[in-house]
Amino acid sequence: GSSLLLLQENPCLVELLFHVLKSQDLSSRILSFSLRLAGIFAAQENCFQYLQQGELLPMLFGEVGPLGGAAWTAPAVRSGWIQGLRTLAQHPSALRFLAACGAVDTIFSLQGDPSLFVASAAGQLLVHILDLAMRGPAEGHRSPQACDWPACAQKIVGHIEDSLCSTAVPQVTQALSVLTTAFGHCHGLWTQGLWVRLSPLVARLLEKDPVPASHSLVDLLLSVARSAPSSYRGLWETLAQTLSHLSPTQAGPLALGILKLQDCPQALRTQAFGILLQPLACVLEAAAQAPGPPGLLEGAAGNSMTVDTLLSSKSACVGLLCCALAHLGLLQPLPQRPSPWPQAPLLGAAVTILRLCSGSAAPTSDVGSRLCAILVGCGRVQRAALDFLGALSQGTGPQELVTQVFSVLLEYLVSPESSSMVLKKAFQATLRWLLSSPKTPGCCDLDPHTQLFLRELLPVLQKRLCSPCWEVRDSGLEFLTQMTRHWGGQAGFRQALLASEVPELTKQLLRDPESYVRASAVTATGQLSSWGLCATPASPECPGAQQSLLVELLHILSTDSEGFPRRAVMQVFTEWLRDGHADVAEDAERFVAGVLQAASRDLDWEVRAQGLELALVFLEQLLGQRGSRCPYAVALPETAPPGVLAQALQVLCRVQLFEFAFRALFDCDRPVAQKSCDLLLFLRAKAAPCGSPQEAGDSPNMASVEATLQRWQAGEQGQPLGYLEPGAVVALLRSVDLEGLRDTLAESSDHVEKSPQSLLQDMLAAVGVLGENEADCY
Amino acid sequence: HPSTRAGAGQDVGRSCILVSIAGKNVMLDCGMHMGFSDDRRFPDFSYITRSGRLTDFLDCVIISHFHLDHCGALPYFSEMVGYDGPIYMTQPTQAICPILLEDYRKIAVDKKGEANFFTSQMIKDCMKKVVAVHLHQTVQVDDELEIKAYYAGHVLGAAMFQIKVGSESVVYTGDYNMTPDRHLGAAWIDKCRPNLLITESTYATTIRDSKRCRERDFLKKVHETVERGGKVLIPVFALGRAQELCILLETFWERMDLKAPIYFSTGLTEKANHYYKLFIPWTNQKIRKTFVQRNMFEFKHIKAFDRAFADSPGPMVVFATPGMLHAGQSLQIFRKWAGNEKNMVIMPGYCVQGTVGHKILSGQRKLEMEGRQVLEVKMQVEYMSFSAHADAKGIMQLVGQAEPENVLLVHGEAKKMEFLKQKIEQEFRVSCYMPANGETVTLPTSPSIPVGISLGLLKREMAQGLLPDSKKPRLLHGILIMKDSNFRLVSSEQALKELGLAEHQLRFTCRVHLHDTRKEQETAVRVYSHLKSVLKDHCVQHLPDGSVTVESILIQAAAHSEDPGTKVLLVSWTYQDEELGSYLTSLLKKGLPQAS
Repeated sequence: GSSLLLLQENPCLVELLFHVLKSQDLSSRILSFSLRLAGIFAAQENCFQYLQQGELLPMLFGEVGPLGGAAWTAPAVRSGWIQGLRTLAQHPSALRFLAACGAVDTIFSLQGDPSLFVASAAGQLLVHILDLAMRGPAEGHRSPQACDWPACAQKIVGHIEDSLCSTAVPQVTQALSVLTTAFGHCHGLWTQGLWVRLSPLVARLLEKDPVPASHSLVDLLLSVARSAPSSYRGLWETLAQTLSHLSPTQAGPLALGILKLQDCPQALRTQAFGILLQPLACVLEAAAQAPGPPGLLEGAAGNSMTVDTLLSSKSACVGLLCCALAHLGLLQPLPQRPSPWPQAPLLGAAVTILRLCSGSAAPTSDVGSRLCAILVGCGRVQRAALDFLGALSQGTGPQELVTQVFSVLLEYLVSPESSSMVLKKAFQATLRWLLSSPKTPGCCDLDPHTQLFLRELLPVLQKRLCSPCWEVRDSGLEFLTQMTRHWGGQAGFRQALLASEVPELTKQLLRDPESYVRASAVTATGQLSSWGLCATPASPECPGAQQSLLVELLHILSTDSEGFPRRAVMQVFTEWLRDGHADVAEDAERFVAGVLQAASRDLDWEVRAQGLELALVFLEQLLGQRGSRCPYAVALPETAPPGVLAQALQVLCRVQLFEFAFRALFDCDRPVAQKSCDLLLFLRAKAAPCGSPQEAGDSPNMASVEATLQRWQAGEQGQPLGYLEPGAVVALLRSVDLEGLRDTLAESSDHVEKSPQSLLQDMLAAVGVLGENEADCY
Repeated sequence: HPSTRAGAGQDVGRSCILVSIAGKNVMLDCGMHMGFSDDRRFPDFSYITRSGRLTDFLDCVIISHFHLDHCGALPYFSEMVGYDGPIYMTQPTQAICPILLEDYRKIAVDKKGEANFFTSQMIKDCMKKVVAVHLHQTVQVDDELEIKAYYAGHVLGAAMFQIKVGSESVVYTGDYNMTPDRHLGAAWIDKCRPNLLITESTYATTIRDSKRCRERDFLKKVHETVERGGKVLIPVFALGRAQELCILLETFWERMDLKAPIYFSTGLTEKANHYYKLFIPWTNQKIRKTFVQRNMFEFKHIKAFDRAFADSPGPMVVFATPGMLHAGQSLQIFRKWAGNEKNMVIMPGYCVQGTVGHKILSGQRKLEMEGRQVLEVKMQVEYMSFSAHADAKGIMQLVGQAEPENVLLVHGEAKKMEFLKQKIEQEFRVSCYMPANGETVTLPTSPSIPVGISLGLLKREMAQGLLPDSKKPRLLHGILIMKDSNFRLVSSEQALKELGLAEHQLRFTCRVHLHDTRKEQETAVRVYSHLKSVLKDHCVQHLPDGSVTVESILIQAAAHSEDPGTKVLLVSWTYQDEELGSYLTSLLKKGLPQAS
């Protein structure tokens, strides 16, 4: 109703559309906009009728419109035309209009548009129209035969049928992708009829060699299978047929899709799993020195198609192996993964592939040596295999194999041939295996195998920390941090680590030229220090070794020119304070004061935000935990007992926490201000019972403080707040409208810009300024 | 059928081009749209592959330089969409990218509902996937695909890339600048004759006003403001234009003997120096020379800025980061100075939507700042572009240098591109394309495929007295063997031997019916004399057994089993003589001349 009213009350709108049609030299953007606008109006049936009275719609969307003109060459216009129709197609009148004005034929041809966006939108529009036509009262009773289908739907389905039978692959692809969208998005009963009618044609595609548009075919079948597989007759058979007709590379994604389905016949699952396993089975068989342990796939191991693909060319081999590894890796953690899961042979395959890649395996068979020649030094397969190996750490394996896993990982970590990305993945996989290694029952320490491995690993890590490549040093440090976080308390780990030079090297990396590495070194030393593992054995002459780390980190915080190391320092400090690190606990007050002072001067917003996090931890230690963080929790935070509170406020004043927090409250970076606001609200709630408002509020001191705050708010933050008495602080907390501030801050920084007024302002401003600005990026 | 395909845009938004060349897929740049703050800011990668994994589809990603419209979507693409393959860029780009991406992340985090944005850790992880390339170094991505970087000017570390598979190649320019400026040199490329040159066309029609004009304009504005006691704020990104403007002001101050202080934001000098020291080979010659003599940021007039200076009275000029006025020092100073109409802010670069910089450039004069206050902007706002893009002349120059077979224009506006397209087609006689955003261009190429020729075959040719001569192509018959992706041309005997095959003779046969009542032998004689008279250039023989031969063609006459008045001619020939054979048959079908 409202749209109609709008059109009736503002005849200029319709005039505009007419004007657009008449105008000769119109920009494609305006024409595109007009088409979309007309579509929006015509989406309501009464508006549609209103526009039809003036015969406006055929002029816009029919053959006499832009469709026939020169403007049509602009993709923006074609796109606007489609979007306009997409919005318009909402009611039966629209359907009749579409059929009458010949729009459907144009949409057919737009499916092959040179613009991806237009082509894709055209396909979607067809589905939308089909859905609109087929839904409705008669839906459930429609037979698969077309006799009682609406004309519009018959036309579209006929077109799809023709396309499916076409010898031109692009046509087939278009038809398949329209169907994919239809089965993926439309849930009406009519889709079942559509499947009955079209599935024979789809199945006929499989008889061609090679199967045309195989990617799109896989997309379609999975889309159907995901929607409601049991209601589509013959689907499972089609899926099975497709699996056996596609090449191993093409069948992989389909196999994975099938295995991810919730309910699906066991035979099909077995077939699909076989396809994923085949490449690995081939590798295992080819690399076997003698007929060894049972392979991955009994009997089917030597599938000739897979072997052919693997040996046909390097890129085919690499592609197939990478896909198989990635697909199996994705499957591994899923609850619906095939059971029994062939953990041991898979482990064997991953190890074998890694060995073939590194050249340390020398198979004697023909296929084996050919594979070896292809894979040696291939980074892509190495990365994929390491990822897969990492994923396999979630399961167990026979000790012999696990030993092989660790030895191949070590081989990669040692090898000078490993690229930085391969090393990163090797570190990640090693970490996963280490952390999943079983604990010796009844003993909390590491098992002997792990212990042994660690002794070999640490010298390698040491070497990697000295790598000329920053990426490698960084990955090494990240690995060390993670390992320490989990094992810092294990005696075996501590022993091995302290016996190595790793802690000392880590400390040296605090002065690395690369800021990312410095940041990781900060995090790593912070973690080591938390467990008392940091550098230099506490020699009697130098008892302050630990203390010096704190000083060093403070130095980094106040002098490092890059943000990353400073942010890392703040994170370490926060963690130290939270965990009661010995050096911090010694004089927490001095520590907090020093850190806050450094953080408040920092230009990096995340350092300041982290400073507030640290302040909050300190507050909680003084006053007790914050209440539930749930914003809907009704319970107010408990107030602190007056004695504790007075004492706490004294401390907070001494460390100048308020100066820091109030400054942050008016910070020009919103997240900082938001955090500070939360912190002050928490403090105010805790301090509720402390004194009456008048006590300090009237003092002359108070007036000057409030004036300073106002100046801060206006952006002049030069002047310090000066020392505050606890009473003044409480008064101040009450006088500032924190709730109001919180609400404002919760709004997005561009909320003003998003408002209509702002849009208007932008448009007005654009008239004068634009043009020149548009084309420049720096 | 090998082809080169690219999807690109007539848009100065984001750059992201997909090239398929001889079966390899390469993504060129991975930019975000500077004008959008919603889903549209990143390219829609689902158009590349619907359900397949990107890592399997793409062979590599190449980033031309560190501007966000060329690399802004990279962490999203590699860490959130899940591309896990190699990313190539130059070393300076790898070092500077994170700074800009962090700025960008900050802007996004600042907005509501941006929880699903990339994190610092993702930016780092993304950068670790980068393989840094040196200029003019050929990098082998895999056995077939190689890339090579060329100097592009524009910004520190900007590069053009040549992508090559076999004999097919594409050159992608990224943004470039054909005239040296105060701190960077001019772009340069080999005469590499690529199948396709993809070039930016930001300033497609403008023969830009001389740079000197813009510099003079800049100096005039700064000078005027300082003269009337105002303060000038120049928000800059740590590198690039900042150095250029500093050099400019320093010289001007010296010449005009000005006293107003110029400041450079804290930490900026160290950072800039750090990068310039690292990447000195990327700057121009003059800077390289100066750098040896002294620290290039030890200026006489430009000093480090302290927070307290902002409040001091009197005129001054301050360079402060970040460049889009979205946070930090430049924003702090802006807030202090915005209310005074004597002051001026000069924006030397583009600003992302949603930043204070973008707002004031689009003319907003009342800004809602944090803490619920409205900041009225009374100071003057100036936008000055020092952006170093190639103009039409420069683009033509580059096309001339590289001598491509086809040109594809991207990163510009349709109308301006049309003009340039015509110019290029006229002057260089090559096809020029300008696809709209999302459009695909397919170019057929004719790659030369090397074929080895066996010694035996060559010797046989030589025996005929003809030496191979590259200027005189000659027809050579042989068998083409394709094995292990090698192509060899060998003699048929050798092919048979190598492949272990037996030779078979293929003969065509045909029956021709003639009305002739005489005996077969006589018919044969008539055929012989007829052919002898018609085919003067061929060797026609009458064999003792009564059959007739013309070269390898055999003709025998036989009686018709049913009709004694008809004779049957059996004609048979090898496939080598197919032409002669069919000619003969048709000749015989016309009948024999009456015996005279």
